[in-house]
Amino acid sequence: MSTLRSEEMILNVGPQHPSTHGVFRLVVTIDGEEIVDADPVVGYLHRGTEKLAENLQYTQIIPYTDRLDYLASMINNYALVHAVEYALDLEIPERAEHLRIIVMELNRIASHLLFVGAYLLDLGAMSPFLYVFQERERIVQLFTEICGARLTYNYMRIGGVKWDAPPGWLQKVREFIPFMREKIRMYDDLISGNEIFLNRVKGTGVFTQEEAINHSLSGINLRSTGFNWDLRKNQPYGIYDRFDFDVVLGQKGDCFDRYWLHMLEMEQSLRIVEQAVEAIGDGLILGKVPKLIRVPAGEYYAGIEGARGELGVYIVSDGKDKPYRLKLRRPSFVNLQILRKLLIGQSMSNLIAILGAVDIVLGEVDG
Amino acid sequence: MTDENPSVEQAGEQEKAATPEKTVAATEGTVKKDPPARPAKAPPPPDPRVLEATAYAESLKDEVEKACGAGVVAEISATKSLPVLRIEQAAWYPVVKYLKEDPEQQFVYIQVFAGTDYKDYIEVIFEVHSFTRGRRIRLKTRTPRDPAELASLTPLFAGLNWEEREVYDLLGIQFTGHPDLRRIMMWEEWNGYPLRKDFSEFENAPHIGGETRE
Repeated sequence: MSTLRSEEMILNVGPQHPSTHGVFRLVVTIDGEEIVDADPVVGYLHRGTEKLAENLQYTQIIPYTDRLDYLASMINNYALVHAVEYALDLEIPERAEHLRIIVMELNRIASHLLFVGAYLLDLGAMSPFLYVFQERERIVQLFTEICGARLTYNYMRIGGVKWDAPPGWLQKVREFIPFMREKIRMYDDLISGNEIFLNRVKGTGVFTQEEAINHSLSGINLRSTGFNWDLRKNQPYGIYDRFDFDVVLGQKGDCFDRYWLHMLEMEQSLRIVEQAVEAIGDGLILGKVPKLIRVPAGEYYAGIEGARGELGVYIVSDGKDKPYRLKLRRPSFVNLQILRKLLIGQSMSNLIAILGAVDIVLGEVDG
Repeated sequence: MTDENPSVEQAGEQEKAATPEKTVAATEGTVKKDPPARPAKAPPPPDPRVLEATAYAESLKDEVEKACGAGVVAEISATKSLPVLRIEQAAWYPVVKYLKEDPEQQFVYIQVFAGTDYKDYIEVIFEVHSFTRGRRIRLKTRTPRDPAELASLTPLFAGLNWEEREVYDLLGIQFTGHPDLRRIMMWEEWNGYPLRKDFSEFENAPHIGGETRE
């Protein structure tokens, strides 16, 4: 009897791939169907934002932050603007704070919706993808009315926001909330009980709390292990401490928990939007800031709860109107490091499920 | 002095001989007056957050030096309510290991890791949170630009693997002990370290005919 010669194969899940959420390359070494090694290669979307920022005034950097995590641009804008305001100890007008909360949480909902749709699409289910884009369209229409753009909003400014809500906008947001609640229930009915989906994601890609903390995971990846850490509650910023919402936690740290947390967090974000729309008053949308914003010399770091984890901006300033060094702490970049550990020993068929559940956006991974 | 000069010019020659001495004597005798001083502005009251954070940093420095040896903490400071400790380059790994593993400290959750090129040295910072102590601190260290070397913290924190690769790629610091130190954002043939202040793309880029260095 001749023995079967077997070798390991190096397979390139190349930068051009419909399921890698962008230009992401994964070099997997497989033995039959089992992954022996996985080496993620990133940098295909590196645009040198940090280097460019050294020659730009702070307000000029805001459009660049739009393009980091392009699915949650409002939150990216806020990360930069919040860091500068923290450095300057600026007071933000009330109406601006409420508008910021409303658009950030709506953007979080839009980003989570797209995660749900794209994750299911990766796994082969094509209908949820089209359904979520219907709801995303409603949110994106709201954003178009308030700031003129559909994806890269450039809406936040240091000291407030750029445009006020046009008349009728808040009423539209008010009407959107129960509509969205009904839709989340519909997605839940459609997806969460599907046997094929559950078979593929339950129990795959498990990591423990200690591993998550050691890998500096944040956001839903950390909370899926059951660890209670949400920067909106633990290191509060803005006016989040005025709103009543829960931090949802997973139980097992598998891919299903991460999907489930996205669904539950959408509901919590709707609660926040509901309260913010009731609490908003009239007033200024941009506080009194000098025309040329100079950050006093020093080093400042401010992290916020982005859609994918802790999004932070570290500014080193020497007193000028341009930063000496701007470092962006990008959650997708840090979260992606656990991929290699999760993939080794898994079957090839679980690769896309595990990669999708980490929830990366390549604009944010590469910066 | 200027008041006396017109009278000096109007005076005759006899006085001219005498006036130099007179003006010299006059200038030697009078004290040059500054314009009247403005009342000194009172310095702003010290920020209570900074005071508290500095005190916390002091106590942390004592604990660290008791465990890791005197002189490992080069400098302490505070930014708003964040204590900052600057560690000597040689003691980087032992101090961070102590702060991570000691049951009293437990600084286990890294929130940001960054490098900055100042003209004489490169500074690496990271901010680490302790859930048991409920406090976040910033630790930093400096390394000279040439050679730029630092002990890798990846054996302690798996989440620093790519962060250190990024600092190596963009700033050129060699992390000794890193399991897999190679470029991450730029491709392997790239020369130079883009985030350094003396980086020039046109001298370095291999794809547009730059010279090969090293």
